[in-house]
Amino acid sequence: MNEPHRQPVIKTEHLCRHFGEGETLVKALDDVTLNIERGEFSALIGPSGSGKSTLLNLIGGLDNPTSGSVELAGRRIDQMSGNELSDFRRDHIGFIFQSYNLIPVLTAAENIEYIMLLQGVPHAERRRRVSDILDRVGLAGLGERLPPALSGGQQQRVAVARAMVSEPDIILADEPTANLDSKSGISLLEVMRELNRDQGMTFVFSTHDQKIMERARRLIHLEDGRIVKDEQRV
Amino acid sequence: MLFKLAFRNILRQRRRTILTTISMAGGYLLSAMSFSMIDGSYSNVIRIFTEDETGHLQIHSKDYADKPRIYKTIDTLNVLNETLHAENHIKSFTPRTFAPALAYAEDNHAPVQVIGIDNELETDTSRLREKLASGQWLTAQPDSEGYFDALIGQGAATSLEIGVGDEIVLISQGADGSVANDLFRVKGTVGTRRSQERLNVYLPLQAAQPFLSLGPNQVHEIAIVLDDISLTDNIAAALTETLGRLVPDLTVSTWPEIQKTFYQSMQADKRSNAVTLGIILFIVFVGVLNTVLMSVLERTREFGMMKALGSRSSLVLTMILLETMLLATASIILGILIAIPVILWLTHSGFSLPDPVDLGGVPFSHMKGEFSARVMLLPAAIIYGYALAVSFLPGLRAARILPVEAMQTH
Repeated sequence: MNEPHRQPVIKTEHLCRHFGEGETLVKALDDVTLNIERGEFSALIGPSGSGKSTLLNLIGGLDNPTSGSVELAGRRIDQMSGNELSDFRRDHIGFIFQSYNLIPVLTAAENIEYIMLLQGVPHAERRRRVSDILDRVGLAGLGERLPPALSGGQQQRVAVARAMVSEPDIILADEPTANLDSKSGISLLEVMRELNRDQGMTFVFSTHDQKIMERARRLIHLEDGRIVKDEQRV
Repeated sequence: MLFKLAFRNILRQRRRTILTTISMAGGYLLSAMSFSMIDGSYSNVIRIFTEDETGHLQIHSKDYADKPRIYKTIDTLNVLNETLHAENHIKSFTPRTFAPALAYAEDNHAPVQVIGIDNELETDTSRLREKLASGQWLTAQPDSEGYFDALIGQGAATSLEIGVGDEIVLISQGADGSVANDLFRVKGTVGTRRSQERLNVYLPLQAAQPFLSLGPNQVHEIAIVLDDISLTDNIAAALTETLGRLVPDLTVSTWPEIQKTFYQSMQADKRSNAVTLGIILFIVFVGVLNTVLMSVLERTREFGMMKALGSRSSLVLTMILLETMLLATASIILGILIAIPVILWLTHSGFSLPDPVDLGGVPFSHMKGEFSARVMLLPAAIIYGYALAVSFLPGLRAARILPVEAMQTH
């Protein structure tokens, strides 16, 4: 499945996430073992309730597994304490959410700057990186706008910029194009594809979007919380 | 950034922020006014109390204050005179002698308290002279017929049916156990039929000492007035040390020790006022709690996102606390702006009570506030304390929430 000489950036083993108990037990994720290598542009696909978002949340350390392990950049994140996990997410993972999730009282530039502030990046360096990334995602000149003054596509570009600016090991994107029109969706995907190609940044999507599936180099099919097919594409 | 974020967050719901600010500013104003009136009233009462008769400090022979007996005297008035004159913060002091006596005038008699006073020093130390209702102040020398002056309280004057110029016979016990009796001329009457000196008979010290078989350096009490009441404890300690070396077996008591009952009832009253105020402020802050809760609950998703991005729980908690503290600061500034003119008016003008209140024998008819750092800062500290308290639990809840759960809320 994976080329043997490459180091996996994400590694899950027998990962389970169950909700409820007894008769109401729901196995949102059931015994998922998966390796994702650095530089991949992969998509988790499957019908609603198949476990795509659950798997993404567990990989990102946003949720705790019922059993199994999650290793990211060589570290077991399922065993980390609260602060350790927060710091790890800050330094190693970028998130892009379906509904953008920008901080509404901060401008586009400030939203992008936020993670660098948490990281303690110096002011001048923050300013430089914000300016560069705004250019790269096609938002030059819009940095001082508050999120409500931006279109959906522009807000999602800010979210992409925010996810990338801290140069994480991996970017997890949960249905990033679901709230965008077709044109904005394609444009955003092109930006992400370019970043993947140029910077070797690892992207993992959870999606229903055909456009993402067409561009993904690996499609991981989930059904009822299990991986049913893992498809490498050229 | 955190400050900016908190500041912008409180401006999100402007109407709610304004209402909460007004509510907290009202709490501040209420507290500042209450503290001003409580402190002002009691400062006034204490001033009346201490300047009326008690003084800020008193010196007695050991255990005289608890069990007064005529023979428990201070025997070294001359030494104490020098010591007390040397203390910078003593504004004035006066010696006194005390003895119970029976007073006779024609066919009437009444039990009285004979108090020997220094006619000049007493004027500087107490307000007795201001209470002269009729006649004249005491002189230290006997009149042409050899009679010493006496001032009598209105109660005794009424019982004995005498007035200025009449004779009064006092019978008491001397410090040596002998029977003391002598005739005095009423030079004036003091106070009213209800005031605390109503049954007192004041004699010049020069007459009272021989009358009670006491020597010229023997008195029962020295009352001291300081130039600053806040120095009472310090000066008491210094005098205790100095007198302990020079004249053993004397005690220096402070006004709260002398007027123990009054002081304790004052403290109890202050505490009950503080509790009442605390309850009122608690009710005010239930409204603030509601605001903070609403603000936190409607932003749960946002907190989850902040945590997902790598914000520690402590950062989320700090931001929520900072928002409430900013709100509290705005409220306190508004409260101070309103409170300053109100408290200045209370301090300078105050208001009269419809009926005077008798506080331990001191009539109290006009209430005034006090303008001090304590009056202005203590309510601010209370507002900050309450603000922190009401925002802590909602803040903790937001800080502890699992990102995935928070982001599922709408």
